[in-house]
Amino acid sequence: MIRFIAKRLGSGLAVLFVVSAITFFLLYMSSGSIARNILGDQATAEQVALKEAELGLDQPLVARYFSWVFDALGGNLGASWFTSEPVANSLASRIPVTMTMVFAAMILIAICATLIGVTAAVKRGWVDRVVQVGAIIGDSIPGFVIGVILVTVLAIQLGLFPATSTISPESGPDAWVYSMSLPVIALLVNGVTGGAQQIRSAVIKQLERDYVRTLRSRGIGEREILFKHVLRSAAPAGLTVLSLQLIGMLGGVVIIEQIFALPGMGPLAVTATGQSDLPVVMGVVMYTVGVVIVVNLLVDVLNGWLNPKVRVS
Amino acid sequence: MKLGPKAAATALTVSAALALTACGGAANSGPAAGAAATALTIGTIQDVRSWDPAQAHVGHVLQPYQAVYDSLILREPDGKLSPLLATGWKYNDTNTKLTVDLRTDVTFSDGAKFDAEAAKANMDHFKKANGPQLAQLAAVQDVAVVDADTIDINLATPDPALEYFLSQAAGLMGSPTALGTEGIKTEPAGSGPYVMDKAGSVKDSQTVFNARQDYWNKDLQKYQKLTFKILADITARTNALVSGQVDATILDPKTGKQAEGAKMKLAANEVDWQGLLLMDRDGTKNAPLKDVKVRQAINYAFDRKTILDQVMLGQGTPTSQPFGKESGAWTEGLENHYSYDPAKAKQLLKEAGYENGVTLEIPGIPNFETQISVVKQQLADVGITLNVGAALTNTFTSDVAAQKYTTMYFSLFQGEPTVAINQIISTKALYNPFKNADPELDAKIEAVRTGGADAGKLAQDVNKYVVDQAWFAPLFRVNQMYYHNSKVDVVPQIQQAVPSIYNYSPAK
Repeated sequence: MIRFIAKRLGSGLAVLFVVSAITFFLLYMSSGSIARNILGDQATAEQVALKEAELGLDQPLVARYFSWVFDALGGNLGASWFTSEPVANSLASRIPVTMTMVFAAMILIAICATLIGVTAAVKRGWVDRVVQVGAIIGDSIPGFVIGVILVTVLAIQLGLFPATSTISPESGPDAWVYSMSLPVIALLVNGVTGGAQQIRSAVIKQLERDYVRTLRSRGIGEREILFKHVLRSAAPAGLTVLSLQLIGMLGGVVIIEQIFALPGMGPLAVTATGQSDLPVVMGVVMYTVGVVIVVNLLVDVLNGWLNPKVRVS
Repeated sequence: MKLGPKAAATALTVSAALALTACGGAANSGPAAGAAATALTIGTIQDVRSWDPAQAHVGHVLQPYQAVYDSLILREPDGKLSPLLATGWKYNDTNTKLTVDLRTDVTFSDGAKFDAEAAKANMDHFKKANGPQLAQLAAVQDVAVVDADTIDINLATPDPALEYFLSQAAGLMGSPTALGTEGIKTEPAGSGPYVMDKAGSVKDSQTVFNARQDYWNKDLQKYQKLTFKILADITARTNALVSGQVDATILDPKTGKQAEGAKMKLAANEVDWQGLLLMDRDGTKNAPLKDVKVRQAINYAFDRKTILDQVMLGQGTPTSQPFGKESGAWTEGLENHYSYDPAKAKQLLKEAGYENGVTLEIPGIPNFETQISVVKQQLADVGITLNVGAALTNTFTSDVAAQKYTTMYFSLFQGEPTVAINQIISTKALYNPFKNADPELDAKIEAVRTGGADAGKLAQDVNKYVVDQAWFAPLFRVNQMYYHNSKVDVVPQIQQAVPSIYNYSPAK
């Protein structure tokens, strides 16, 4: 197991390196004169040249990339070209907001999707049909549309929640709960409906297997069969779909954070990319790749733990 | 059913995760916001990049600096320049030296004293720091301390906008002991009406200020607490305003309807003009544009009023001139210089020898798709084909400078005459990439630059020249839709989309 984790971590680092190189060179090629972007449309050519020297943009591209890599290996991700704020500080203040939201949504998705999926698979009949239709509807409405509807009804008309985030250093946990509620709901609707569908079909497939018939013939209760055997065998499919949803959510959360003005990774990513603020974009990309690698690793480990059949030696 | 060890472990993990999520907030608990009666919350589009006053900008991004930094000169809402840290100022006969008298009773928030040395230190720092508004002091050769409360600003060439600039970024005064340090980038040190509450502020989310206790000019300090809530997304700004989270913010004509439905008040103000920049006037890359008749034909092709009504919901004024109403260069006569006349447009094209049509290439502009499609249609009606290329990206300034575009649709700020000349008309202007020039025009520009107090009036000649020569095809000046609730009175500030911080006061 440890060897497996080490191997996966190793390949993760390789991915991180490759992605960082591709991002760095692509960004450089598409960003034109960064110094001019920073200084605005009234800057003179001398000003631009001065700024380029200040930012080290007059150095060769490859040299700049490796100096970034060595700094990053030493824990220094550099500072924003536009605000001079250290990238590590930006990430540290924003990752908790985004991750709190994503993980709250994921946990709720896991619980709701499992309950709904299993119920649909076991009961079948009209319950199943309602779940199926609900899944199509839920899947077809984008999260940000749900977000806008929620704000209009629950925040503006009924005043139950704040319309935009009230999270600040002086706010207590209640501000977090209130500010996060609507965005989390907006994020989880798609996940619940999609997840429930996957879990439903996985459970149905397991229920039709021979071992279930054997267990039943031995007089083992339906509940035990379901929770001890069927769910465990169906878990890998559910976990895989959940991990895909979590990774997809890193994109969806960008728009949700804009609508709710949450100080998370989304607005940082949008602003930095729009401005070609390379050090910040690199930081955001490293964070995203890091999350993807960790989530995939976790899913593999969990899968192996839950189901010895898929365990990798 | 008995829970197996794995199920129990899963349950534990889930509850631990939930507990952790809840804890994320607990550490941040603190005292609640107070002084509601005299608190003002403004929704802004972006956070400042650096609190170094030399990095201050114009428009949206000047306002937060005004909370913490006094400027040498105060610009009233109508554009009149009044004393602030400067008590008086006077040019010499050749307009090459501005002598400025300064207050002596002002201290900065870090305890340093404001005097002539401090003013000089600020202007020297501004010229060195390569900020986005460095051009404001481009004409300044050096600053000399005459005595403790007087400085001489020596100019290499006269600049009639200098006094205006001293009410803007170039006039903001920071503590001389903090200038150039790392600290001032994240925590301002000025002599202004408010001091930043660093503990309550979060980068790109909100910036909180408290009234400075011993501030010297109580007239400019109208609130106990001032908060800038950064709301980049216009939906978020609209929602925050109508739900009462912010007292004032900038919207657009469409979201403005929603704000009006919630009984918000509008402080409208014309700040920008929109239209075509016909930049290749020598026909370097697009030969027909060399002919003034073609450029005039383009101007006659537009039904400006209808476009304004349809696309901007009527929020603005149709115009044929690029200079703004408050600039002094604006004249009533040029307002409808090119009225909607498709027949005349066709006639002019025929006279120019282009009766078979002309083709223009413009880049697409995000958020201007509707305007551009209407412009394209109206040009097609007179026989001009408009090809819309790939949208502008963040490289557009360098692309414009590299003569990539012969024509473009744009929205541009209307400022003081020399500001506009430096932006769109002079050979050094970014939006004159083909460096079009004419001795007659050069003489008119030179007259403005050396014209001192008459600069505005002299710029009318420049305005007339570029309108007659159809350097541009302006469509309209657009209203900035600044909305606020009934708890606050807001006075619009000329040439600014968002008002200066001094223009807000508790509603009477």
